[in-house]
Amino acid sequence: MKYFKRTLSTLLVSSTLISGYVCADVKISGFGSIVAGRTLDDVTLDNVGYDWSQPPSAANPPSITREQILTADFYDVGQYNNDFSFRPETVFALQIVADMGENLKVTGQLVAKGVDDFSPEFDWYYLTYQATDELTLMAGRRNIPMYYFSEFSEVGYAYPWMRPPSNLYWWQVTQFNGVHAMYDFSLGDFSNTISFFYGNEYSNDNKEMKYYDELYGGTARSVNEFWTDIMGMNWNLSGDFFDVRFVYFQNDRDREVIAQDGSIGDYTPFSQKFLGFGGTVDLAMFTFLFDWNLVTYDDANGTEFPTYLISAVYNMDELHPFISYSKADHKREKRTNTEDYEEHYMLSYGIRYDFHPSASFKIQYDKFVDEAVPESGWRYHGDSDTVTIGVDFIF
Amino acid sequence: MCKQYNKKQLSIMFSTLFVGMLSTSSVSAEIAVIVNAANSSALDKNAIEKIFMGKMKKFPNGQVALPMNAAKSMNSRKEFNKAVIGRSSSQVNAYWSKLVFTGKGSMPKELSSDAEIISTISSNQGAIGYIDSGSVTGAVKVIAKF
Repeated sequence: MKYFKRTLSTLLVSSTLISGYVCADVKISGFGSIVAGRTLDDVTLDNVGYDWSQPPSAANPPSITREQILTADFYDVGQYNNDFSFRPETVFALQIVADMGENLKVTGQLVAKGVDDFSPEFDWYYLTYQATDELTLMAGRRNIPMYYFSEFSEVGYAYPWMRPPSNLYWWQVTQFNGVHAMYDFSLGDFSNTISFFYGNEYSNDNKEMKYYDELYGGTARSVNEFWTDIMGMNWNLSGDFFDVRFVYFQNDRDREVIAQDGSIGDYTPFSQKFLGFGGTVDLAMFTFLFDWNLVTYDDANGTEFPTYLISAVYNMDELHPFISYSKADHKREKRTNTEDYEEHYMLSYGIRYDFHPSASFKIQYDKFVDEAVPESGWRYHGDSDTVTIGVDFIF
Repeated sequence: MCKQYNKKQLSIMFSTLFVGMLSTSSVSAEIAVIVNAANSSALDKNAIEKIFMGKMKKFPNGQVALPMNAAKSMNSRKEFNKAVIGRSSSQVNAYWSKLVFTGKGSMPKELSSDAEIISTISSNQGAIGYIDSGSVTGAVKVIAKF
Protein backbone atom coordinates (compact mmCIF):
# COMPACT_ATOMS: atom_id res chain seq x y z
CA MET A 1 0.00 0.00 0.00
CA LYS A 2 2.96 2.28 0.51
CA TYR A 3 3.43 2.23 -3.25
CA PHE A 4 -0.20 2.98 -3.79
CA LYS A 5 0.05 6.20 -1.79
CA ARG A 6 3.20 7.27 -3.54
CA THR A 7 1.73 6.54 -6.93
CA LEU A 8 -1.55 8.15 -6.11
CA SER A 9 0.27 11.36 -5.29
CA THR A 10 2.26 11.05 -8.51
CA LEU A 11 -0.98 10.62 -10.41
CA LEU A 12 -2.50 13.61 -8.64
CA VAL A 13 0.53 15.72 -9.45
CA SER A 14 0.48 14.64 -13.06
CA SER A 15 -3.24 15.21 -13.40
CA THR A 16 -2.76 18.76 -12.13
CA LEU A 17 -0.02 19.26 -14.67
CA ILE A 18 -2.15 18.08 -17.56
CA SER A 19 -5.40 19.71 -16.51
CA GLY A 20 -5.07 21.95 -19.56
CA TYR A 21 -5.84 19.05 -21.88
CA VAL A 22 -9.45 18.56 -22.80
CA CYS A 23 -8.93 14.85 -23.07
CA ALA A 24 -5.72 13.04 -22.16
CA ASP A 25 -5.38 9.84 -24.13
CA VAL A 26 -5.84 7.27 -21.36
CA LYS A 27 -5.89 3.59 -22.27
CA ILE A 28 -6.98 0.92 -19.85
CA SER A 29 -6.13 -2.68 -20.51
CA GLY A 30 -5.41 -5.63 -18.30
CA PHE A 31 -4.64 -9.26 -17.77
CA GLY A 32 -5.38 -11.93 -15.27
CA SER A 33 -5.39 -15.58 -14.36
CA ILE A 34 -7.96 -17.53 -12.40
CA VAL A 35 -6.04 -20.63 -11.38
CA ALA A 36 -6.72 -23.36 -8.88
CA GLY A 37 -4.86 -26.48 -7.95
CA ARG A 38 -3.55 -28.83 -5.32
CA THR A 39 -0.76 -31.26 -4.59
CA LEU A 40 -1.75 -34.90 -4.69
CA ASP A 41 0.09 -36.68 -1.92
CA ASP A 42 2.21 -36.58 1.23
CA VAL A 43 5.99 -36.43 1.30
CA THR A 44 8.84 -37.47 3.62
CA LEU A 45 12.56 -36.92 3.15
CA ASP A 46 12.54 -33.19 3.59
CA ASN A 47 14.54 -31.14 6.05
CA VAL A 48 11.68 -29.23 7.53
CA GLY A 49 11.14 -29.68 11.24
CA TYR A 50 14.05 -32.08 11.44
CA ASP A 51 15.91 -32.75 14.70
CA TRP A 52 19.39 -31.53 13.81
CA SER A 53 20.91 -32.86 17.08
CA GLN A 54 20.76 -36.20 15.27
CA PRO A 55 21.66 -35.20 11.72
CA PRO A 56 19.98 -37.09 8.90
CA SER A 57 21.97 -39.80 7.20
CA ALA A 58 21.32 -43.03 5.35
CA ALA A 59 21.04 -44.81 8.71
CA ASN A 60 18.86 -42.09 10.20
CA PRO A 61 16.66 -40.89 7.36
CA PRO A 62 14.22 -38.04 7.89
CA SER A 63 10.89 -39.51 8.86
CA ILE A 64 8.56 -36.58 9.23
CA THR A 65 5.72 -36.75 6.75
CA ARG A 66 3.80 -33.71 5.66
CA GLU A 67 1.58 -32.68 2.79
CA GLN A 68 3.39 -32.09 -0.47
CA ILE A 69 3.98 -28.41 -1.12
CA LEU A 70 4.65 -26.82 -4.48
CA THR A 71 5.90 -23.27 -4.42
CA ALA A 72 4.34 -21.87 -7.58
CA ASP A 73 5.33 -18.28 -6.84
CA PHE A 74 8.50 -17.89 -4.76
CA TYR A 75 8.54 -14.11 -4.48
CA ASP A 76 5.00 -13.99 -3.09
CA VAL A 77 5.27 -17.41 -1.41
CA GLY A 78 2.27 -18.75 -3.33
CA GLN A 79 2.14 -22.45 -2.44
CA TYR A 80 -0.15 -25.34 -3.23
CA ASN A 81 -0.79 -28.06 -0.67
CA ASN A 82 -3.36 -30.85 -0.42
CA ASP A 83 -6.25 -28.39 -0.23
CA PHE A 84 -7.63 -27.32 -3.60
CA SER A 85 -7.02 -23.56 -3.64
CA PHE A 86 -7.39 -20.51 -5.89
CA ARG A 87 -5.11 -18.46 -3.70
CA PRO A 88 -1.49 -19.19 -4.76
CA GLU A 89 -1.61 -17.93 -8.35
CA THR A 90 -4.87 -16.14 -9.10
CA VAL A 91 -4.08 -12.59 -10.21
CA PHE A 92 -5.90 -9.64 -11.74
CA ALA A 93 -4.12 -6.60 -13.16
CA LEU A 94 -5.24 -3.32 -14.66
CA GLN A 95 -2.82 -1.35 -16.79
CA ILE A 96 -3.41 2.36 -17.19
CA VAL A 97 -1.38 4.20 -19.82
CA ALA A 98 -1.77 7.96 -20.05
CA ASP A 99 -0.29 9.50 -23.17
CA MET A 100 0.56 13.05 -22.19
CA GLY A 101 1.66 14.02 -25.67
CA GLU A 102 5.12 15.26 -26.66
CA ASN A 103 6.39 11.63 -26.61
CA LEU A 104 5.79 11.22 -22.88
CA LYS A 105 3.64 8.49 -21.33
CA VAL A 106 3.00 7.32 -17.80
CA THR A 107 2.06 3.69 -17.10
CA GLY A 108 0.73 2.13 -13.92
CA GLN A 109 -0.15 -1.49 -13.26
CA LEU A 110 -2.53 -2.11 -10.41
CA VAL A 111 -2.17 -5.76 -9.44
CA ALA A 112 -4.36 -7.80 -7.07
CA LYS A 113 -3.14 -11.27 -6.10
CA GLY A 114 -4.71 -14.13 -4.22
CA VAL A 115 -1.59 -14.39 -2.07
CA ASP A 116 -2.19 -10.80 -0.91
CA ASP A 117 -5.90 -11.41 -0.30
CA PHE A 118 -6.53 -9.42 -3.49
CA SER A 119 -5.55 -6.13 -1.97
CA PRO A 120 -4.43 -4.16 -5.04
CA GLU A 121 -1.00 -2.58 -5.27
CA PHE A 122 0.68 -0.53 -7.96
CA ASP A 123 3.38 -3.09 -8.80
CA TRP A 124 4.59 -1.19 -11.86
CA TYR A 125 4.67 2.54 -12.45
CA TYR A 126 7.01 4.24 -14.84
CA LEU A 127 7.43 7.05 -17.29
CA THR A 128 8.28 6.37 -20.91
CA TYR A 129 9.93 9.00 -23.06
CA GLN A 130 10.31 8.31 -26.77
CA ALA A 131 13.50 10.32 -27.28
CA THR A 132 13.90 9.40 -30.96
CA ASP A 133 12.32 6.76 -33.22
CA GLU A 134 14.99 4.33 -32.07
CA LEU A 135 15.64 5.38 -28.47
CA THR A 136 13.17 4.86 -25.62
CA LEU A 137 13.90 5.99 -22.06
CA MET A 138 12.00 4.67 -19.07
CA ALA A 139 12.16 5.56 -15.40
CA GLY A 140 10.27 4.08 -12.49
CA ARG A 141 9.27 0.75 -11.05
CA ARG A 142 9.43 -2.34 -13.29
CA ASN A 143 10.42 -6.00 -13.13
CA ILE A 144 14.14 -6.75 -13.34
CA PRO A 145 14.81 -8.22 -16.81
CA MET A 146 16.46 -11.36 -15.40
CA TYR A 147 15.19 -14.55 -17.02
CA TYR A 148 13.67 -14.57 -20.50
CA PHE A 149 10.15 -14.64 -19.02
CA SER A 150 10.80 -12.42 -15.97
CA GLU A 151 9.31 -9.19 -17.21
CA PHE A 152 5.98 -10.77 -18.13
CA SER A 153 6.06 -13.71 -15.72
CA GLU A 154 2.61 -12.79 -14.38
CA VAL A 155 0.96 -12.42 -17.79
CA GLY A 156 -0.17 -16.03 -18.08
CA TYR A 157 -1.78 -15.39 -21.45
CA ALA A 158 1.66 -14.62 -22.96
CA TYR A 159 3.13 -18.13 -22.63
CA PRO A 160 1.93 -21.72 -23.01
CA TRP A 161 2.32 -22.97 -19.43
CA MET A 162 0.51 -22.12 -16.22
CA ARG A 163 3.64 -20.22 -15.11
CA PRO A 164 7.31 -19.98 -16.06
CA PRO A 165 8.93 -22.91 -14.18
CA SER A 166 8.89 -21.76 -10.58
CA ASN A 167 11.97 -23.72 -9.54
CA LEU A 168 14.01 -21.23 -11.63
CA TYR A 169 11.99 -18.09 -10.95
CA TRP A 170 12.84 -18.37 -7.28
CA TRP A 171 14.44 -15.03 -6.40
CA GLN A 172 13.34 -12.97 -3.41
CA VAL A 173 13.65 -9.78 -5.45
CA THR A 174 11.94 -9.47 -8.84
CA GLN A 175 11.33 -5.73 -9.18
CA PHE A 176 13.36 -2.57 -8.85
CA ASN A 177 13.22 1.18 -9.15
CA GLY A 178 15.47 2.40 -11.89
CA VAL A 179 16.10 3.75 -15.33
CA HIS A 180 16.19 1.98 -18.70
CA ALA A 181 17.48 3.04 -22.10
CA MET A 182 16.27 0.90 -25.01
CA TYR A 183 17.72 1.20 -28.49
CA ASP A 184 16.05 -0.46 -31.52
CA PHE A 185 17.94 -1.27 -34.71
CA SER A 186 17.91 -3.67 -37.65
CA LEU A 187 20.64 -6.05 -38.72
CA GLY A 188 19.71 -7.35 -42.15
CA ASP A 189 16.32 -8.99 -41.68
CA PHE A 190 16.60 -9.17 -37.91
CA SER A 191 15.14 -6.74 -35.39
CA ASN A 192 17.29 -5.89 -32.40
CA THR A 193 16.70 -4.13 -29.13
CA ILE A 194 19.54 -3.41 -26.76
CA SER A 195 18.60 -2.07 -23.36
CA PHE A 196 20.72 -0.87 -20.49
CA PHE A 197 19.33 -0.57 -17.00
CA TYR A 198 20.36 0.68 -13.59
CA GLY A 199 18.48 0.66 -10.31
CA ASN A 200 18.05 -0.43 -6.70
CA GLU A 201 15.64 -2.45 -4.64
CA TYR A 202 15.29 -2.06 -0.89
CA SER A 203 12.87 -4.86 -0.13
CA ASN A 204 11.90 -4.25 3.46
CA ASP A 205 10.01 -7.07 5.16
CA ASN A 206 10.76 -9.50 2.33
CA LYS A 207 8.12 -12.21 2.25
CA GLU A 208 10.25 -15.00 0.79
CA MET A 209 13.22 -14.47 3.14
CA LYS A 210 10.90 -14.32 6.16
CA TYR A 211 9.35 -17.60 5.01
CA TYR A 212 12.80 -19.28 4.87
CA ASP A 213 13.69 -17.91 8.28
CA GLU A 214 10.57 -19.51 9.75
CA LEU A 215 11.07 -22.71 7.77
CA TYR A 216 14.46 -23.23 9.39
CA GLY A 217 13.16 -22.48 12.88
CA GLY A 218 14.09 -18.78 12.98
CA THR A 219 12.09 -16.21 14.91
CA ALA A 220 13.02 -13.06 13.01
CA ARG A 221 10.61 -10.16 13.24
CA SER A 222 11.40 -9.35 9.62
CA VAL A 223 14.06 -9.77 6.97
CA ASN A 224 15.09 -6.85 4.79
CA GLU A 225 16.72 -7.72 1.49
CA PHE A 226 18.76 -5.14 -0.42
CA TRP A 227 19.81 -5.42 -4.05
CA THR A 228 21.71 -2.29 -4.96
CA ASP A 229 23.54 -0.92 -8.00
CA ILE A 230 21.65 -3.33 -10.24
CA MET A 231 23.37 -2.62 -13.52
CA GLY A 232 23.22 -4.53 -16.77
CA MET A 233 21.96 -5.04 -20.27
CA ASN A 234 19.64 -7.12 -22.45
CA TRP A 235 20.11 -7.80 -26.12
CA ASN A 236 17.02 -9.00 -27.88
CA LEU A 237 17.32 -10.38 -31.42
CA SER A 238 14.31 -11.52 -33.40
CA GLY A 239 13.57 -12.78 -36.87
CA ASP A 240 10.63 -14.28 -38.65
CA PHE A 241 10.66 -17.53 -36.67
CA PHE A 242 12.70 -16.84 -33.54
CA ASP A 243 13.22 -14.44 -30.66
CA VAL A 244 16.30 -14.76 -28.46
CA ARG A 245 17.69 -12.67 -25.65
CA PHE A 246 21.05 -12.33 -23.96
CA VAL A 247 21.22 -10.85 -20.45
CA TYR A 248 23.99 -9.77 -18.15
CA PHE A 249 23.65 -7.80 -14.96
CA GLN A 250 25.39 -7.44 -11.63
CA ASN A 251 24.39 -6.04 -8.29
CA ASP A 252 25.39 -5.81 -4.63
CA ARG A 253 23.56 -7.89 -2.06
CA ASP A 254 22.92 -7.18 1.60
CA ARG A 255 20.44 -8.41 4.20
CA GLU A 256 19.14 -7.43 7.62
CA VAL A 257 17.65 -10.21 9.70
CA ILE A 258 15.87 -8.31 12.45
CA ALA A 259 15.31 -10.25 15.65
CA GLN A 260 12.28 -9.81 17.92
CA ASP A 261 14.32 -7.50 20.17
CA GLY A 262 15.16 -5.31 17.19
CA SER A 263 18.81 -6.37 16.94
CA ILE A 264 20.20 -6.98 13.48
CA GLY A 265 22.07 -10.21 12.74
CA ASP A 266 25.52 -10.29 11.14
CA TYR A 267 25.59 -10.56 7.37
CA THR A 268 28.49 -10.34 4.96
CA PRO A 269 27.52 -8.36 1.87
CA PHE A 270 28.63 -9.67 -1.51
CA SER A 271 27.98 -9.02 -5.15
CA GLN A 272 26.35 -11.26 -7.74
CA LYS A 273 26.50 -11.63 -11.50
CA PHE A 274 23.60 -12.86 -13.59
CA LEU A 275 24.18 -14.29 -17.05
CA GLY A 276 21.55 -15.75 -19.36
CA PHE A 277 20.54 -16.74 -22.85
CA GLY A 278 16.99 -17.71 -23.70
CA GLY A 279 14.28 -17.47 -26.27
CA THR A 280 11.66 -19.07 -28.45
CA VAL A 281 11.99 -20.74 -31.84
CA ASP A 282 9.09 -21.70 -34.11
CA LEU A 283 9.74 -24.69 -36.32
CA ALA A 284 6.88 -26.05 -38.39
CA MET A 285 4.15 -27.11 -35.93
CA PHE A 286 6.44 -26.78 -32.90
CA THR A 287 7.50 -23.94 -30.66
CA PHE A 288 10.64 -24.51 -28.61
CA LEU A 289 11.33 -22.38 -25.55
CA PHE A 290 14.60 -22.39 -23.67
CA ASP A 291 16.50 -20.42 -21.07
CA TRP A 292 19.98 -21.00 -19.66
CA ASN A 293 21.22 -18.95 -16.73
CA LEU A 294 24.16 -18.75 -14.38
CA VAL A 295 24.22 -16.72 -11.18
CA THR A 296 27.57 -16.37 -9.40
CA TYR A 297 28.35 -14.77 -6.04
CA ASP A 298 31.75 -13.36 -5.10
CA ASP A 299 31.26 -14.76 -1.57
CA ALA A 300 33.57 -16.98 0.53
CA ASN A 301 31.83 -20.13 -0.74
CA GLY A 302 32.12 -19.35 -4.43
CA THR A 303 28.36 -19.85 -4.76
CA GLU A 304 26.96 -20.62 -8.21
CA PHE A 305 23.43 -21.33 -9.42
CA PRO A 306 23.35 -22.89 -12.88
CA THR A 307 19.78 -23.29 -14.13
CA TYR A 308 18.11 -24.16 -17.40
CA LEU A 309 14.74 -24.73 -18.99
CA ILE A 310 13.74 -26.53 -22.18
CA SER A 311 10.19 -26.80 -23.42
CA ALA A 312 8.35 -27.88 -26.54
CA VAL A 313 4.84 -26.94 -27.60
CA TYR A 314 2.89 -28.60 -30.41
CA ASN A 315 0.64 -26.03 -32.10
CA MET A 316 -2.67 -27.18 -33.48
CA ASP A 317 -5.21 -24.45 -34.23
CA GLU A 318 -6.54 -23.85 -30.75
CA LEU A 319 -4.83 -26.65 -28.87
CA HIS A 320 -1.26 -26.40 -27.65
CA PRO A 321 -0.02 -29.41 -25.68
CA PHE A 322 3.36 -28.79 -24.06
CA ILE A 323 6.11 -30.39 -22.04
CA SER A 324 8.85 -28.64 -20.09
CA TYR A 325 11.87 -29.60 -18.03
CA SER A 326 13.59 -27.13 -15.72
CA LYS A 327 16.61 -27.81 -13.60
CA ALA A 328 18.17 -25.75 -10.81
CA ASP A 329 21.43 -26.45 -9.04
CA HIS A 330 23.48 -24.81 -6.29
CA LYS A 331 27.25 -25.24 -6.17
CA ARG A 332 29.97 -23.95 -3.86
CA GLU A 333 33.11 -23.87 -5.92
CA LYS A 334 35.41 -22.78 -3.06
CA ARG A 335 34.32 -25.60 -0.72
CA THR A 336 35.70 -29.15 -0.62
CA ASN A 337 32.17 -30.37 -1.23
CA THR A 338 31.15 -28.37 -4.28
CA GLU A 339 28.00 -30.27 -5.23
CA ASP A 340 25.75 -31.30 -2.34
CA TYR A 341 23.48 -28.31 -1.88
CA GLU A 342 20.10 -27.30 -3.24
CA GLU A 343 19.21 -29.20 -6.40
CA HIS A 344 15.87 -29.94 -8.03
CA TYR A 345 14.09 -30.36 -11.32
CA MET A 346 10.54 -29.97 -12.49
CA LEU A 347 8.93 -31.96 -15.25
CA SER A 348 5.69 -30.39 -16.37
CA TYR A 349 3.18 -31.17 -19.02
CA GLY A 350 -0.20 -29.89 -19.93
CA ILE A 351 -2.33 -28.27 -22.58
CA ARG A 352 -3.35 -24.76 -23.48
CA TYR A 353 -6.70 -24.39 -25.21
CA ASP A 354 -7.41 -21.03 -26.87
CA PHE A 355 -11.18 -21.21 -26.53
CA HIS A 356 -11.61 -17.46 -27.06
CA PRO A 357 -9.51 -14.78 -28.89
CA SER A 358 -8.60 -13.21 -25.53
CA ALA A 359 -8.73 -16.12 -23.12
CA SER A 360 -7.18 -19.53 -22.85
CA PHE A 361 -7.86 -22.51 -20.66
CA LYS A 362 -4.90 -24.45 -19.25
CA ILE A 363 -4.39 -27.62 -17.34
CA GLN A 364 -0.96 -28.65 -16.11
CA TYR A 365 0.70 -31.40 -14.13
CA ASP A 366 3.99 -30.67 -12.35
CA LYS A 367 6.34 -33.23 -10.96
CA PHE A 368 8.85 -31.56 -8.66
CA VAL A 369 11.82 -33.70 -7.68
CA ASP A 370 14.00 -32.49 -4.83
CA GLU A 371 17.46 -33.91 -5.52
CA ALA A 372 19.27 -32.46 -2.50
CA VAL A 373 20.70 -35.17 -0.25
CA PRO A 374 19.10 -35.07 3.23
CA GLU A 375 22.46 -34.57 5.00
CA SER A 376 22.96 -31.29 3.14
CA GLY A 377 20.14 -29.56 4.99
CA TRP A 378 19.02 -28.12 1.64
CA ARG A 379 16.19 -30.55 1.09
CA TYR A 380 13.55 -28.05 2.10
CA HIS A 381 11.20 -28.23 -0.89
CA GLY A 382 10.39 -31.93 -0.88
CA ASP A 383 9.02 -33.79 -3.87
CA SER A 384 5.55 -32.93 -5.07
CA ASP A 385 2.96 -33.80 -7.68
CA THR A 386 0.62 -30.95 -8.50
CA VAL A 387 -2.34 -30.40 -10.76
CA THR A 388 -3.47 -26.89 -11.66
CA ILE A 389 -6.37 -25.74 -13.84
CA GLY A 390 -6.97 -22.18 -14.92
CA VAL A 391 -8.02 -19.53 -17.38
CA ASP A 392 -5.69 -16.72 -18.49
CA PHE A 393 -7.11 -13.65 -20.17
CA ILE A 394 -6.25 -10.23 -21.51
CA PHE A 395 -8.50 -7.27 -22.22
CA MET B 1 -11.82 10.28 -20.23
CA CYS B 2 -12.32 9.58 -23.90
CA LYS B 3 -15.39 7.79 -25.07
CA GLN B 4 -14.34 4.62 -26.74
CA TYR B 5 -17.36 3.88 -28.90
CA ASN B 6 -20.38 5.86 -30.01
CA LYS B 7 -23.77 4.25 -30.52
CA LYS B 8 -23.38 3.92 -34.26
CA GLN B 9 -20.04 2.15 -33.88
CA LEU B 10 -21.53 -0.14 -31.28
CA SER B 11 -24.40 -1.13 -33.54
CA ILE B 12 -21.94 -1.79 -36.36
CA MET B 13 -19.93 -3.90 -33.95
CA PHE B 14 -22.93 -5.94 -32.90
CA SER B 15 -24.17 -6.44 -36.44
CA THR B 16 -20.65 -7.50 -37.46
CA LEU B 17 -20.62 -9.94 -34.59
CA PHE B 18 -24.02 -11.26 -35.62
CA VAL B 19 -23.06 -11.61 -39.27
CA GLY B 20 -19.80 -13.18 -38.18
CA MET B 21 -21.64 -15.80 -36.16
CA LEU B 22 -23.94 -16.63 -39.08
CA SER B 23 -21.08 -17.00 -41.48
CA THR B 24 -18.62 -19.07 -39.46
CA SER B 25 -18.91 -21.94 -41.88
CA SER B 26 -18.12 -19.80 -44.94
CA VAL B 27 -14.95 -20.46 -46.93
CA SER B 28 -12.02 -18.13 -46.34
CA ALA B 29 -12.34 -14.87 -48.22
CA GLU B 30 -9.52 -13.07 -50.00
CA ILE B 31 -7.89 -10.36 -47.91
CA ALA B 32 -6.68 -7.07 -49.42
CA VAL B 33 -3.96 -5.08 -47.67
CA ILE B 34 -4.66 -1.39 -48.19
CA VAL B 35 -2.83 1.89 -47.68
CA ASN B 36 -3.57 5.56 -48.24
CA ALA B 37 -3.92 6.46 -51.94
CA ALA B 38 -0.92 8.83 -51.62
CA ASN B 39 1.34 6.11 -50.19
CA SER B 40 3.74 4.94 -52.90
CA SER B 41 5.52 2.30 -50.78
CA ALA B 42 5.85 -1.21 -52.17
CA LEU B 43 5.72 -3.79 -49.39
CA ASP B 44 6.25 -7.52 -49.55
CA LYS B 45 4.57 -10.00 -47.20
CA ASN B 46 7.52 -9.95 -44.82
CA ALA B 47 7.42 -6.15 -44.51
CA ILE B 48 3.65 -6.18 -43.91
CA GLU B 49 4.13 -8.80 -41.22
CA LYS B 50 6.85 -6.72 -39.56
CA ILE B 51 4.64 -3.63 -39.51
CA PHE B 52 1.76 -5.55 -37.89
CA MET B 53 4.12 -7.16 -35.34
CA GLY B 54 5.59 -3.79 -34.34
CA LYS B 55 9.05 -4.67 -35.68
CA MET B 56 9.03 -2.12 -38.49
CA LYS B 57 7.79 1.31 -37.53
CA LYS B 58 8.18 3.17 -40.82
CA PHE B 59 7.44 2.70 -44.51
CA PRO B 60 10.46 2.59 -46.85
CA ASN B 61 9.75 6.27 -47.67
CA GLY B 62 10.23 7.26 -44.01
CA GLN B 63 6.55 7.80 -43.23
CA VAL B 64 5.57 6.46 -39.78
CA ALA B 65 3.40 3.37 -40.22
CA LEU B 66 0.05 3.21 -38.39
CA PRO B 67 -1.22 -0.37 -38.61
CA MET B 68 -4.98 -0.85 -38.15
CA ASN B 69 -6.43 -4.16 -37.04
CA ALA B 70 -9.91 -5.40 -37.74
CA ALA B 71 -11.91 -6.09 -34.55
CA LYS B 72 -11.21 -9.43 -32.87
CA SER B 73 -14.63 -10.69 -33.90
CA MET B 74 -14.07 -10.02 -37.62
CA ASN B 75 -13.20 -12.86 -39.92
CA SER B 76 -10.63 -10.75 -41.81
CA ARG B 77 -8.49 -10.54 -38.64
CA LYS B 78 -8.33 -14.31 -38.41
CA GLU B 79 -7.59 -14.69 -42.13
CA PHE B 80 -4.91 -11.98 -42.11
CA ASN B 81 -3.14 -13.44 -39.06
CA LYS B 82 -3.12 -16.87 -40.63
CA ALA B 83 -2.06 -15.81 -44.14
CA VAL B 84 0.39 -12.99 -43.39
CA ILE B 85 1.62 -13.46 -39.81
CA GLY B 86 1.41 -17.24 -40.03
CA ARG B 87 -0.09 -17.63 -36.57
CA SER B 88 -3.53 -17.98 -35.01
CA SER B 89 -5.17 -14.83 -33.66
CA SER B 90 -4.65 -16.13 -30.11
CA GLN B 91 -0.93 -16.60 -30.76
CA VAL B 92 -0.68 -13.08 -32.17
CA ASN B 93 -2.53 -11.74 -29.12
CA ALA B 94 -0.18 -13.67 -26.83
CA TYR B 95 2.81 -12.15 -28.64
CA TRP B 96 1.38 -8.66 -28.15
CA SER B 97 0.42 -9.22 -24.53
CA LYS B 98 4.07 -9.62 -23.55
CA LEU B 99 4.96 -6.33 -25.25
CA VAL B 100 1.93 -4.37 -24.07
CA PHE B 101 2.25 -5.34 -20.40
CA THR B 102 6.00 -4.62 -20.30
CA GLY B 103 5.60 -1.24 -21.99
CA LYS B 104 7.55 -2.31 -25.08
CA GLY B 105 4.86 -1.90 -27.66
CA SER B 106 1.27 -0.92 -28.40
CA MET B 107 -1.02 -3.25 -30.23
CA PRO B 108 -2.36 -1.95 -33.58
CA LYS B 109 -5.52 0.08 -33.14
CA GLU B 110 -8.74 -1.87 -33.65
CA LEU B 111 -11.50 -0.75 -36.00
CA SER B 112 -14.89 -2.36 -36.13
CA SER B 113 -15.78 -2.61 -39.84
CA ASP B 114 -14.24 -2.60 -43.31
CA ALA B 115 -15.98 0.75 -43.97
CA GLU B 116 -14.35 2.26 -40.87
CA ILE B 117 -10.95 0.87 -41.88
CA ILE B 118 -11.32 2.40 -45.36
CA SER B 119 -12.35 5.80 -44.03
CA THR B 120 -9.52 5.84 -41.46
CA ILE B 121 -6.90 4.85 -44.03
CA SER B 122 -8.16 7.27 -46.66
CA SER B 123 -7.72 10.14 -44.19
CA ASN B 124 -4.34 9.08 -42.67
CA GLN B 125 -1.27 9.03 -44.90
CA GLY B 126 0.65 6.50 -42.81
CA ALA B 127 -2.23 4.13 -42.10
CA ILE B 128 -2.20 0.52 -43.30
CA GLY B 129 -4.90 -2.10 -42.84
CA TYR B 130 -6.61 -5.09 -44.37
CA ILE B 131 -10.17 -5.76 -45.46
CA ASP B 132 -12.20 -8.32 -47.31
CA SER B 133 -11.31 -7.93 -51.03
CA GLY B 134 -14.96 -7.45 -51.83
CA SER B 135 -15.11 -4.28 -49.70
CA VAL B 136 -12.33 -2.42 -51.57
CA THR B 137 -13.29 1.05 -52.88
CA GLY B 138 -11.40 3.67 -54.87
CA ALA B 139 -10.70 5.65 -51.67
CA VAL B 140 -7.71 3.44 -50.79
CA LYS B 141 -4.88 1.65 -52.58
CA VAL B 142 -4.48 -2.14 -52.55
CA ILE B 143 -0.81 -3.18 -52.16
CA ALA B 144 -1.19 -6.92 -51.70
CA LYS B 145 -3.79 -9.68 -51.69
CA PHE B 146 -3.66 -12.92 -49.75
